[in-house]
Amino acid sequence: MSIDVSGVTKTFGDFVALDDVSVSLPTGQLTALLGPSGGGKSTLLRVIAGLETADTGRVTIEGVDATRLPPQKRNVGFVFQHYAVFKHMTVAKNVAFGLEIRKRPKAEIAARVDELLRLVHLSQFSHRLPSQLSGGQRQRMALARALAVEPKVLLLDEPFGALDAKVRKELRDWLRRLHDEVHVTTVFVTHDQEEAMEVADEIVVINDGRVEQVGTPDQLYDEPANDFVMSFLGEVTTLGGVLLRPHDVHISTTPQLAGAAEGTVSRVLRVGFEVRVNVLTDDGEDVLLVLTRTHARQLGIEPGVRVWVTPASGALTVPSMKAAVG
Amino acid sequence: MVEVSTPVRWALRLAAVAYVFFLVAWPVALVVRQTFSNGLDNLIEAFQDPHVVNALELTLMVAFWAVVINTLFGVTISILLVRYEFPGKRLLSALIDVPLSVSPVVVGLALLLVYNGRDGWFGPTLEANGLQVIFDTPGMIMATCFVALPLVIREVVPTLTEVGDDQEQAARSLGANARQTFWRITLPSIKWAVIYGVVLSLARSLGEFGAVKIVSGNVTGRTQTATLMVEAKYQNFQQGTAYATSFLLILVSIACLVVVAVLRPKHP
Repeated sequence: MSIDVSGVTKTFGDFVALDDVSVSLPTGQLTALLGPSGGGKSTLLRVIAGLETADTGRVTIEGVDATRLPPQKRNVGFVFQHYAVFKHMTVAKNVAFGLEIRKRPKAEIAARVDELLRLVHLSQFSHRLPSQLSGGQRQRMALARALAVEPKVLLLDEPFGALDAKVRKELRDWLRRLHDEVHVTTVFVTHDQEEAMEVADEIVVINDGRVEQVGTPDQLYDEPANDFVMSFLGEVTTLGGVLLRPHDVHISTTPQLAGAAEGTVSRVLRVGFEVRVNVLTDDGEDVLLVLTRTHARQLGIEPGVRVWVTPASGALTVPSMKAAVG
Repeated sequence: MVEVSTPVRWALRLAAVAYVFFLVAWPVALVVRQTFSNGLDNLIEAFQDPHVVNALELTLMVAFWAVVINTLFGVTISILLVRYEFPGKRLLSALIDVPLSVSPVVVGLALLLVYNGRDGWFGPTLEANGLQVIFDTPGMIMATCFVALPLVIREVVPTLTEVGDDQEQAARSLGANARQTFWRITLPSIKWAVIYGVVLSLARSLGEFGAVKIVSGNVTGRTQTATLMVEAKYQNFQQGTAYATSFLLILVSIACLVVVAVLRPKHP
């Protein structure tokens, strides 16, 4: 295991950011810490980096007890949400910073900076100041800067959070490819479940300072440990007291399947090829369904139509902890 | 922007210009005119007076040390105030503003009470060990430091707050220790604020009068600074020398203002 966190608790005044968290992150993988804002995932990352000190518990990095080590002795690369670029230095100087601190020979530094800037596609910008770069370019520079010191682990705190949707998508794919090239153990924090599912080998779901579940994206999606994980990883709706995905609800205009709930279509909203349908069942449940445009047209779904809804065969369901919405 | 009618606009402009003219421009211009009323005679005479030269040298020396000390302490205290949490932080921040609100004469008197050689708190002990504070240079430097204390801090604190500690954290994670982080990251990012604070401190230190008058003893040729010299010469009916020395002080102040004006656009 590359990073071992055991029994870590961290409080800020009365607020418990991490509550006895234990998690092991394997070597060479790309792991996402996923959870809602204020859930403690960034704090966990900062504790691993040494930017925050845990109240109790231990952090081990590559077999070395790092609990009491200051950040500069941990050999981790850290990438901040708002880039934290050194504003008064050129791009090349930014990337060279860690190497200059380590007093490497000038020629070696120049060669390494050159190589890294090529890796992040910023070679032509090496003499610019960070203020002359776009957000995505700044974040790639920050990544190169963190990679320059050959860290044992690379930690990224909401690395794409401050970027617009299109750039975020590009950088996400690029990070995945970069990781496949460089193979450094990487942990990134995100609140975007799509980003985590797309990029990570393994996902740690964190909520309220606790680890809810650890697993591959497929495991988390197919076998969520509880209703929180289920609802955080994608849209859910309740039908007959269970949680399920809106696209896993079977709908028909005639009573075909035994046990189907009868109800009336209350609202139809079309978003591109998708049609989102709300059905108010006679038991008083508001069920959300997602159909394709074609399917909805075939069935003639429109407000006021009587329908029968039931979980589709093979649908993943989780018992709902909350009372059905009235 | 609220639209103001043309006559009102002109009246406001006239009032502002007249105010500054009668309060600042005209009096200062008169000092300059008086200095050169006999050509360069007044200036030459002033520079031939060893007491004047001595006073100017003393002023520069006191101002230099006061600025050096205030810059070192100012930057340190600013970092302490912005980057660290500690009990009494608000009190410290409030105390730093005291020199802005207390009259310099009171400052001088307070220093006198603590450091005088006969019945001060520390004075006799220090004097027994060969360090005379009051009626000597150390006391004058202390008084000048006191009155110029907030200038560097009030420049640096907002800049430090605005820059944030992201870059410092990044430097730490890249292997820099506290000293390297300060020299390579923190100082370059507050550079302009520090320079601006230094220039303001210098102008303030050169012109200090009240506090220095009390702690220096105002001994001609020994502890008399340029501002004290101006007063003494004027009262001695040597107006020419007084005007010439005033002119030199104005010149330095204007040089400071020019430096600030040149720096300001680079310091957003």
